[in-house]
Amino acid sequence: MPRIKLGSWAQSAVDWLQNHLSWLFDAISTVLTGLYDAVHAVLGAPDALLMAGILAVVAWWLRGLLAAVFAFAGLALIDSFGLWDEATATLSLVLVASFLTLLLAVPLGIWAARDERVSRALRPVLDLMQTMPAFVYLIPGVMFFSIGPIPGLFATIIFSMPPGVRMTELGIRQVDGELVEAARAFGTTPRHTLTRVQLPLALPTIMAGVNQVIMLALSMVVIAGMAGAGGLGETVYAAVTQVDIGGGVESGLAVVVLAMYLDRMTGALGKRVSPLGRRAAAKSPSGARPSAVLNYRPGTAVATVGVVVLALVAGGMHLAGGERESVAAGADIGRGKKVKIGYFPWDEAVATTYLWQNVLEARGYKPEVKQLDPGPLYTALAQGQMDVQFDSWLPTTHQQYMDRYGDKLSDLGSWYGPTSLELTVPSYVKDVDSLEDLKGKAGKFGGKIVGIEASAGMMGKLNGNVLKDYGLDGEYKVVSSSTSTMLAELDRAIKNKQPVVTTLWSPHWAYGTYDLKKLKDPKGAWGKGEELHVVGKKDFAADFPRIAEWVKGFKMTEKDLASLEAEIQKGGKGKEKASAGRWLDARPGLLDKLAPVKTS
Amino acid sequence: MSRLKAEHLYKVFGKRPEAAVKRLEGGASRDELRADGTTAAVIDASFEVEAGEIFVVMGLSGSGKSTLLRMLNGLLDPTSGRVSYDGRDLTALTPAELREVRSRNISMVFQHFALFPHRSVLENAGYGLEVRGVPRAERERRAAEALELAGLGGWERSWPDELSGGMQQRVGLARALATDADLLLMDESFSALDPLIRRDMQDQLLDLQKRLKKTIVFITHDLNEAMRLGDRVAVMRDGRIVQNGTAEDILVRPANDYVASFIQDVDRSRVLTAGSIAERGDDADAVTTVAADTPLADLFAPLALGTGPVAVTGADGAPAGVVTRDRLLAALGEQPAGVTAGA
Repeated sequence: MPRIKLGSWAQSAVDWLQNHLSWLFDAISTVLTGLYDAVHAVLGAPDALLMAGILAVVAWWLRGLLAAVFAFAGLALIDSFGLWDEATATLSLVLVASFLTLLLAVPLGIWAARDERVSRALRPVLDLMQTMPAFVYLIPGVMFFSIGPIPGLFATIIFSMPPGVRMTELGIRQVDGELVEAARAFGTTPRHTLTRVQLPLALPTIMAGVNQVIMLALSMVVIAGMAGAGGLGETVYAAVTQVDIGGGVESGLAVVVLAMYLDRMTGALGKRVSPLGRRAAAKSPSGARPSAVLNYRPGTAVATVGVVVLALVAGGMHLAGGERESVAAGADIGRGKKVKIGYFPWDEAVATTYLWQNVLEARGYKPEVKQLDPGPLYTALAQGQMDVQFDSWLPTTHQQYMDRYGDKLSDLGSWYGPTSLELTVPSYVKDVDSLEDLKGKAGKFGGKIVGIEASAGMMGKLNGNVLKDYGLDGEYKVVSSSTSTMLAELDRAIKNKQPVVTTLWSPHWAYGTYDLKKLKDPKGAWGKGEELHVVGKKDFAADFPRIAEWVKGFKMTEKDLASLEAEIQKGGKGKEKASAGRWLDARPGLLDKLAPVKTS
Repeated sequence: MSRLKAEHLYKVFGKRPEAAVKRLEGGASRDELRADGTTAAVIDASFEVEAGEIFVVMGLSGSGKSTLLRMLNGLLDPTSGRVSYDGRDLTALTPAELREVRSRNISMVFQHFALFPHRSVLENAGYGLEVRGVPRAERERRAAEALELAGLGGWERSWPDELSGGMQQRVGLARALATDADLLLMDESFSALDPLIRRDMQDQLLDLQKRLKKTIVFITHDLNEAMRLGDRVAVMRDGRIVQNGTAEDILVRPANDYVASFIQDVDRSRVLTAGSIAERGDDADAVTTVAADTPLADLFAPLALGTGPVAVTGADGAPAGVVTRDRLLAALGEQPAGVTAGA
């Protein structure tokens, strides 16, 4: 069987599209970003509780008082978690994605219902869209549409479209053939047959499809958070990568609240808009209701008035509450210029990014920080959609990105080094201090070394060099999982005082949190350490000469970094900026050292 | 000129239908075609329907009667042959023209009523007018009139699923009547109803027909219904029309064994008329006098009263003969020609 180079063809296709159709992607991106921003502006403008009130009135209108109370309580809970902004971002993304999905899915479903050939051709495409792992198209999405909500939107539309198409097709096909024939027998045009008979009767099924679309969109939006779509997905992802169980549960619950709200509301909306649903509702005996108060639903007019009043109040408050942050006189070097800083959720990246966000704000810039996976982030830098990032591990871990995008990136210098990779045991594991000591002790550790992502560079090194050099291969099995799983396993073992050996690297906050012992590497099997570099887009130094100058002088020691990371860890999720600010304020003179106002 | 005329209609489903028609014209049988995977639903059907006539097409399921009906308003395109309505060739019309004809001239009543569940009774009845773009006020007035005609006055605001089967079909009938179409196509319209309701509906249709004088093509698998309703009846078998005549024609002179075996269970006393069995005789001691189109069933009571015959008068009132007890019994017991007793 010859090797079919499907992968490389796909790669060339993506390259070609990127090179030749970028104007198209830019245009799409502009339109979609506008749409998303508009929805987000509307949803995000009012105060959290007011918006929760508006959404609760909608629930009241659609389902009754009880639903409204639950909706308000759930949404207020999100606000109390401090996740309101993320939730509105997610909600906006879901609404825009669902709207666009349905805009495509319903006509496709209609077409498929009317033409058997279309239906047959669509089926495998829909299967592909539904089952292809999302990351496969999330990353090309980033390449086409730049970092931000649009690749997430793009992936969400792909993922959530199939049920929309299928349910529309099914709904129309399910309409009694005699009814369609009756419509034709009275001279109805095909278009009117669709709008007067088929669509109204298919509406309950189509609405079930809409519900599915919205639910899938929500689940996908969370995944898309990892590719920079922001919102709750980002907080879930960040919590998971930092083994922040509490934060994970809170942001996960926020997703659940949104899911339940959207699910119940679309379900009820289906009944409201479909003529058959209205019939069924009108027929159900009113005496069977448990309580008239709980089930009282305001009429459409009353609900509209309620929403409008709350919206006006929100508008008024919004106008009253505009404030500006002040920048020390003479220090306004940035003059409001935007700097887009990307980071992946590695602790030293989070620490430096938020530290520099504080520093740059104090110098009059408007830094925007954005969490991304390494792949998308380097892509975004190479395309100039991001300006800078602080956590490039060179010359090994991230070398592949430098090789690929080298001439489109600029290395702004290293701020920390050398790093090290190691195997680590808790310090209560007494007789193991060096890699050599592991030999013959497989029984103690259950014969396994807890690793991280199989794709990580250090895993290759561990399997390829380290185990061989110390004669450990065969004795130990490297369990690949994920960084968060590894850290969770470490935490569990330490709580139970069990022996465990894990892969770890320095700098890492785990060394500050737990009492750990880095296993010595007398043979140098892990190789030399790396340096942490600041990497900017190609024209960074030209666009931001002062910042380029400042980061060139930027250095941190392991101790400083550990204390900064600890401060951020202590501050908790969502308060990284404030924590880093506090850390900075506690060190008088550091700001001027990091970003001197006078040119040197 | 006849109102509706079908000439050599063929409908073949499957691959290469035109070639199949050629083979059928060349004498191939339906079974030979079926072996090749094509189905000849209607084979060489020709008939004419006069204005104001109820033309019944009778056949068992699979005989092609519903397919035949759907070619009359173009819901199905004939594979070959012509349908003319008022001299206009329907098979040559564009889709838009055909829709126009359907919304103005030809209405249809369906077996399972085919009412739109998301529309009220009034909206259902006015559907044809809505399609035609008649303004709401006029549409609702005419729909209400049609419902009144169909015996459903007062139910305008109800919904189809609140009505019994018989009432639903009255809505179906009203929907067909509301457009003032002259030609009504009725596809097994009463078959899904209970026997008692079915009879009511038949009576009502006959009653309406006396007043409205529509041209009706009525499909049924029930021979009694066919005999009751049909001014003329066409019997279909395996896609072909095997006999086409009045109810009495078919009863007295079945075209072949198939038709003969079919009519065995028919209540002859309700189909045969006094005129058809009257013989010359003395009407001096006649117990009563009846019209020639009186069904035999109505002669039982008078003949049981006395020994004399019943006098029969023709349409013009002139004496047409008499029916004696013996003649009546003989007519009822008569086996159709070509069928041996017990067959």
